[in-house]
Amino acid sequence: MSNSTAYVSLTDMSKSFGGVKVLKDVSFDVRPGEVHALLGENGAGKSTLIKMMSGLYTPDAGTITVDGRELKFSTTRDAGAAGIATVYQELLLFPELSVAENVFLGNYPRTATGIIDWAEVRRRTRDLLDQLDTFDLDVDTKVLSLSVAQRQRVEIAKALSKNARILIMDEPTASLVESDVQRLMAVVRQLRERGVGIVYVSHRMPEIFALADRVTVLRDGAHVATRDIGEVDENQLVSMMVGRSIESLFPKAQASIGGTVLRVTKLNHGRHVRDISFALRRGEILGIAGLVGSGRTELALTLFGMTPATSGEIEMEGKAVRIGSPRQARDLGIAYVPEDRGLQGLVKAMAIRKNVSMATIERLSSGIFIKAGEEAQRALDAVKRLSIRCRNIGQPVGELSGGNQQKVVIAKWLETMPKVLILDEPTRGVDVGAKAEIHTIMGELVKQGVAIIMISSELPEVLGMSDRVLVISGGQITGEIDRADATPERVGAAMTAHRSGEAA
Amino acid sequence: MTTTVEATARSRTAPQRPGFFKRLFAEYGQEIVVLAAIVMLFAIVTMVNPRFISANNLTTIFSGNAYIAVAAIGMAMVIVTGNIDVSVGALIGVLATISGSLAVAGYPIWFAWLAPVVVGMAVNAIIGILVAYARIPSIVVTLGALSILRGGLISVTGGTWITDLPPDYLIAQKQIFGLPVPLVFMVVLTLLAAFWMRYTAFGRSLYAIGGNAEAALATGIPIARRTVAVFVIHGAFAGLATILFATQLQVIQSTVPPNLELTVITAAVIGGVSILGGSGTVIGSTLATILFATIGSALIFVNVSAYWLRAVIGLLILATVLADMLRRRGRGA
Amino acid sequence: MKLKSLIRHETFLAVLLVVVLIVLSFQSDRFFTIDNLLNQGRLMTEIGLIAIAMTFVIATGGIDLSVGSILGLTAILTGVFWQNVGLPLPVAATAAIAAGTFAGFVNGVIITRFRVPPLIATLATLALYRGLAEGISQARSVRGYPEWFYVLGQKDVLGVPTQLWILLFAAVVASVILAYTTWGRTVYAVGSNEVASRFSGLSVEKTKLALYTASGFAAAVAAVIFVSRVSTTRSDMGTGIELDAITAVVLGGTSIFGGRGTIIGTIIGLCLIQALKNGLSLAGIKGDGTIMLIGAVLILAILASNLFERSGTRT
Repeated sequence: MSNSTAYVSLTDMSKSFGGVKVLKDVSFDVRPGEVHALLGENGAGKSTLIKMMSGLYTPDAGTITVDGRELKFSTTRDAGAAGIATVYQELLLFPELSVAENVFLGNYPRTATGIIDWAEVRRRTRDLLDQLDTFDLDVDTKVLSLSVAQRQRVEIAKALSKNARILIMDEPTASLVESDVQRLMAVVRQLRERGVGIVYVSHRMPEIFALADRVTVLRDGAHVATRDIGEVDENQLVSMMVGRSIESLFPKAQASIGGTVLRVTKLNHGRHVRDISFALRRGEILGIAGLVGSGRTELALTLFGMTPATSGEIEMEGKAVRIGSPRQARDLGIAYVPEDRGLQGLVKAMAIRKNVSMATIERLSSGIFIKAGEEAQRALDAVKRLSIRCRNIGQPVGELSGGNQQKVVIAKWLETMPKVLILDEPTRGVDVGAKAEIHTIMGELVKQGVAIIMISSELPEVLGMSDRVLVISGGQITGEIDRADATPERVGAAMTAHRSGEAA
Repeated sequence: MTTTVEATARSRTAPQRPGFFKRLFAEYGQEIVVLAAIVMLFAIVTMVNPRFISANNLTTIFSGNAYIAVAAIGMAMVIVTGNIDVSVGALIGVLATISGSLAVAGYPIWFAWLAPVVVGMAVNAIIGILVAYARIPSIVVTLGALSILRGGLISVTGGTWITDLPPDYLIAQKQIFGLPVPLVFMVVLTLLAAFWMRYTAFGRSLYAIGGNAEAALATGIPIARRTVAVFVIHGAFAGLATILFATQLQVIQSTVPPNLELTVITAAVIGGVSILGGSGTVIGSTLATILFATIGSALIFVNVSAYWLRAVIGLLILATVLADMLRRRGRGA
Repeated sequence: MKLKSLIRHETFLAVLLVVVLIVLSFQSDRFFTIDNLLNQGRLMTEIGLIAIAMTFVIATGGIDLSVGSILGLTAILTGVFWQNVGLPLPVAATAAIAAGTFAGFVNGVIITRFRVPPLIATLATLALYRGLAEGISQARSVRGYPEWFYVLGQKDVLGVPTQLWILLFAAVVASVILAYTTWGRTVYAVGSNEVASRFSGLSVEKTKLALYTASGFAAAVAAVIFVSRVSTTRSDMGTGIELDAITAVVLGGTSIFGGRGTIIGTIIGLCLIQALKNGLSLAGIKGDGTIMLIGAVLILAILASNLFERSGTRT
């Protein structure tokens, strides 16, 4: 598309954290008026690279050239001054402040007397939002009452307010529903028309093929390839990302599937769990696919008793049960490995031993006293069984790698001897090796008769691991597909399907 | 093209631009609630006892508590950044002693007025540095500062009162344009501070720091420097509050009202400053101070025993907090 | 790493305490005598009981500012129940303690049910409970308790002040609970990561409710001991004691953000404060000057332990 020279070039960038090299001699450039997709698995170095571009990290080695001049970014202000703005994945807005203020914070228009010109702030914000076809957003609303998609447009407006030449978008569609994704893609195209260069970080192949002009793949902190989008197909990109073919990545263990252990009928909670019915059998892996915000995590939270169902029935092994709290869920044999490992899964400051025993601490006690010896023994066993790499079981969990942290969370829940194990994004932020190990663990569990519900954003994982795929969109089941029939196309279509009667 | 159609169809039910009052209420909800409470209280108590709005009583309500309102301005700023200061009561005591002693010792009056402001800023600069650069939580630092200042006050004064203050020094008893000086101080300082917090980039950055420190850093706001600065400004307001406190009587007592720091914090919080940081205004904190003063005075006028005064005030504070929590929950979900 | 730094803080504090004790005993030969030390123990019991409960509260990431007011309220109620209502003194004291415990329970309900931040909730009840104490007492003090009642606050058992046995008992029980029971584990877990605790099926709300109730109970027991020690009740009793207790807890290494802290640390912190107060006054430094030193010690101790564990970042 555009063959003009690059506006920003990063050359041989390297970065280490605590002795671990997370980025090795990576080069990357962006031209005006192009969408350059940045691809890679979690931990491949994408976010480190864009954080160096936006001035949050300083590189250990390498040079940044902007418009022909070599620059050093030591703060985000430096990057901003060079015309680079970022829309972060975890949107960095101020919830208590208005939309207009968020757009111009730190960059206010002033009156002649030097005070903030609020009328101008509001007028220019209105302008920017109108340019983004966002006529439905009031500039005086507080950000806390906005949806994710609206917040994102505020972030984009903020970037535009600084006359950004380069816009970095970190997984901009990860938490959008389909209609908002379409709208965002329209905005991206419009920005490209205006000559803005866009770094587009995403996992979603359809978007990348629809938007990108060029694509760069990173793996394990190293540069794998940069290609024009016309030169590659999806399979090539995936194998570049993972460094091997998909078949070997998802070792589907053959387990004998037994009787029904969990049956859910017309389950409801709020707007995100609506009339959900399904059955789960022993030894089965039920994959749940759906976009972020589709209601998949909400379904898990309802089954786990965090947000108890407002109507509908749950049967465990044929008996009708009520699940009003995680405690009840646990006692019924339901375990949940949550999506946000750091916040919901682990107490990072605590030792591995104490994390492993956390859900079973009453069972490990006589009277009110914790049986320390047994606790330590169980933790040691868990470390061995799941091959958690650590110095000892007294090591704080926060010091472990992402994959080993995830194994600690799984270990905690295996201690409860669950009949139903719900895994929410079990391999997010986990390196490729640990990912395979977690998949192997899942295989062993189903052989022992555990029923697994696996929620994942990664379609290859869902397709590779599941016996059956349940697709959720808008809080409702939009597809139930057997392994044999589960193709990316069918699942993808169901993910974006909308059932009638929806008022989203 | 379909995108645009869909987008329009999906547009929220909210109108393009909500009405003026709706916006006013969205932004100053808590302040309006407090103001309404004050007005209602005045109306009701005046009906019961018309002497309630006598000039004399109004002076007591507004002027007698102006120093708390002034101190609450600085406190509100500190809390907006997500910090807290439990030492301000003791600081006011120390500053009052310094100021009074200078006045009695024959230093120029302006010097006796200036000193508490400067010393207040200096003391809080140290507190701010410990919070911002040594990374000690503000509650710990100010707890320590509370002990130091309280101990310092008693060991210096030995419990004796400062008397024989020069008449010119007693500015809180004077009038400007027929209005009591403390009232003028309170109103002018509140408006100035409110303006500063709303119309300067510096003022706005306090909300950013308290609301989302990580995002503030990404926006390029120097958090540590601003934190020190806000404590220094808070020290200046403590100094100004001291001037009003020290000059309202003919003597300066060696103690400040018990739990003065908690009164100041409560005023800020009831006025709408979130204890978690990131929101609230100084107009709210001043209104809340007036509300407490009005309640206190009203209870006397409707013949509630003075002994039950604090219990009733405590109950009202609790009710306000619970109401605010329910309001927030209704909105936040 | 965390465990190590924890031990380090307490070791550091213990060494500091020993140094202070040595220095002070050189300053005055009346300091390091059994009689004086036991008497100091008597004086620190009330703060001590409150600080022990406060250690739990702060370790969950909370705070209880209302303990001083609960103390005052319980003291007043003891006197009123006995003198005005005419209950026998043991019944009166028990009823007053029950009322103080209930006040703590109310704190817990406000915090867990209405989700009011603990600082705000207990700030409000600080005003409320003190107000109730003032209203009930009508500024009258109650005196003239029977002689046997002073055993609690002024007499010895086996040569040791009675209330010191109570403090010792409370400290041992609290240490065991915090270190070895599911309850203690829950306290630390909630303080480090409340969300993960809830996701692990721990009873977060119940634990917090119990802690604030226990804090009220500790303040109430302290109140009865206080009354027995000073032979009178007044509505302003215990004013400001919450800040003293918090100082001891924080000095003892409990993180104000929650997740870590020990009873032994709190006790060492308490002893350090009391030793400084007493030793310096014996050495001729004016009584109130020592408060300054305590403030300085608090800031410096936290500063020092912060510097020791700079590498360990909070998450």
